[in-house]
Amino acid sequence: MITNFDKLCGDLEKQELEAPTGIASPSTYAQLLAIYLYQNDLCNAKFLWKRIPQNITSSNPEISAIWAVGQKLWKKDLPGTYQALAAFNWTEPVANIIRALEDNIRERTFNLIGRSYSSISIDTVVSMTGLSKDAVLHVCRDRKWMLNEDGVTVSPTPPTQPAPLHTSSEDQLFKLTEFVSFLEN
Amino acid sequence: MASPLEQFVDNVRTMSASGSFRELCEVIGKSDEVLQRNTAHLSTVLETLDIQQHSLGVLAVLVAKFSLQQGADVDKSTMFKQIHDFITNCNGEQVRFSPELYAELCHQLTNYLVEIKQPIRGIEILKKAIRKIQLFDSQLTSIHADLCQLCLLSKCLKPALEFLDTDVTGIGSELGGNNDSKHFLLYYYYGGMIYTAMKNYDRALYFFEVVVTVPAMVVSHIMLEAYKKYILVSFILHGKILPMPKYASQVVCRFLKPLSAAYHELATSQHAAIKHRDTFIRDKNMGLVNQVLSSMYKKNIQRLTKTFLTLSLSDVAARVQLTGPSQAESYILNMIEEGEIYAMINQKDGMVVFLDSPEKYASPETLCVLEQQMAACTKLHQYIQEMDEQIQVNPQYIKKSVGSHDEDIPATSQNSKTTYSM
Repeated sequence: MITNFDKLCGDLEKQELEAPTGIASPSTYAQLLAIYLYQNDLCNAKFLWKRIPQNITSSNPEISAIWAVGQKLWKKDLPGTYQALAAFNWTEPVANIIRALEDNIRERTFNLIGRSYSSISIDTVVSMTGLSKDAVLHVCRDRKWMLNEDGVTVSPTPPTQPAPLHTSSEDQLFKLTEFVSFLEN
Repeated sequence: MASPLEQFVDNVRTMSASGSFRELCEVIGKSDEVLQRNTAHLSTVLETLDIQQHSLGVLAVLVAKFSLQQGADVDKSTMFKQIHDFITNCNGEQVRFSPELYAELCHQLTNYLVEIKQPIRGIEILKKAIRKIQLFDSQLTSIHADLCQLCLLSKCLKPALEFLDTDVTGIGSELGGNNDSKHFLLYYYYGGMIYTAMKNYDRALYFFEVVVTVPAMVVSHIMLEAYKKYILVSFILHGKILPMPKYASQVVCRFLKPLSAAYHELATSQHAAIKHRDTFIRDKNMGLVNQVLSSMYKKNIQRLTKTFLTLSLSDVAARVQLTGPSQAESYILNMIEEGEIYAMINQKDGMVVFLDSPEKYASPETLCVLEQQMAACTKLHQYIQEMDEQIQVNPQYIKKSVGSHDEDIPATSQNSKTTYSM
C-alpha cells in the first residue's frame, strides 16, 4: 500500500502545533515519530521524542518502541534496528509506516554495501539487512553480485544511478540568453 | 468611564475612519500613561473597538493591558486568546504604521508562554504574525527571534526552518536604525543553535559568524556565547578554528578571545576537554564538545585518504587511535554513507582502498548546480546595485560626501547626484 507520507507528515505537524494545550494525541505523536524515521530525519525524530510529555510515553508502549528503533538508527546499529523492529507487535496506522520504514532501511543498506565494499562476507550482509541467508543470496542474484569461489564472500557492484533528468534545449538556451544579457549589461 | 480615556477612544474612532493613521500613532504614543492609569476599564474599551477597523487602537490597549509591572492580579488567562484573535483578524496595513507596538505585543506573548511553560502553542501564531507584518518574505523583524526562542524551548525546530532558510535582504523598521540590536543578535544566535541541532553545521557557522561580526562598540553577552559555539562548530566542520572575518569589530576580537580561552585550547591539547570540563558544562556546550572529539577521528581518517591509496583496516585503527579494525570499518562505512570520503572496503583481505571523488563535473546535476549559483550571483548583484542607488540619493550621504570635498560651495542635491553616479 502506497501512502503519501510527506503529506501525512505535514498534517500531523499541523495537528500538534494547533493542539489547544500544546499537547497532541498519542496516536499523532506515534505516527509522526514513525514518519520522521521513515524519512531518515533522525534529528527531528529525536526532538519529537524529547518533547512528548512523559505521561504519554509511559502509558503508550508503542511510542517507546518506535523510539527504540530510532535509537538504534541513531547509533547506526543495523542488526539492533531489525531486532527492535521485530520486537513489537505494531498496530495500525503505525504498522503501515513501520513496514515502509523497514523496506526503506533495507534498500538503503543494500545500496550502501554496493557503494562501499568490494568484497563482503555473507554473514555481514545477513546481519546488516536482517534477512535470512537464503533471502540474502536471492537479493545478491537479483543485483548480480558475484559469489566468490570460497563460498562465503560476495563481490557487490555499485548501484546504478538513476537516469538524469533531461532539460529541454529550449530551456537551456533561455538560461544562457539570460546569463549573457546579464554579462553584457 | 474616565474622560481622558473617552477622549482616546474618540480619537481612535475618528482618525481610523478618516485614515490618518500616522497622526493616530502620535496620539497613541502620548496616551500610554492614560491607558496605564485606567487599567480597570481597558476591557470595556476593547469591547467598544473593532479589531479590523481600529487595529491600531486595539493594539495599543492590548499592549497596555499586558505590560503592567508584575501585576499579580492581572488576569492573563484570556491573554492568549485575545492576542490570537487580534493577530488573526487585525488589519495588516494599519498595524504596519506601528511595528514597535506590534512587536512588543508578540514579545509579551512570548514571555507569557515561556513563563507558563507552553512554548509550543505560540509557534503558529507568531508565524502568522510575522507573515502579516512583513512587506516581503526576506524581511527580518524582531518577532523572528521570538519564534526561534519558542521553537528551541518546545524542542520543535522544524517550523523555524522556513524562516531561517530565507536569506535576509531587509530589516523591519523596529529592528533597524538606532534601536537595540538585542533581537537581531538573538535571531542569529538562536538560528545558529537550531541549525546546529539539525546538524546543518555549514549554515550554523554562518549564523554564528553574523552574530560576532555585527559592528559593535562593546561586546554583548550574546556575542560571547555565539563565539564559543562558532569555535565548536568550526571544529566539527573544518577540524580547526576558522579565523574571524576581517570586518569583525576590533573590540570583539580583543575581548572574545581571552574570555573563551578554554575553547581555544581544544585546538592544541587533547586533554583540554577533560581539563575544562566544568567550564563546558557550565556553558551547556558539553554535548558539542563531545561531538568535536568524535569528529576528530573522522578528520584523521580523511587526512589518511590524502596520503594512502590502500591501507589495511588495522593500520587505519592504529593511525587514528581507534580500538580495532572493526571500529575502523564502522567509522569508514559511516563516512562513506555521509559522503565524507570515497572508499571501498574489502572484507576478505581486510583492506580499504581510498578512491578519488567520482564527480567528473560533467553531469547534468553539476550544470544544474552551476545554473543555480549563477542565478544567485545575478540576484545578489541586483540587490547591491539597488542599495547603491538608494545610497546615492540619500540626502545625508550627499551632504557628507560633498561637504568634505568643497565646504564653501553649497551644492544642490541635483548637482552632486550627477557627480557621484557611476
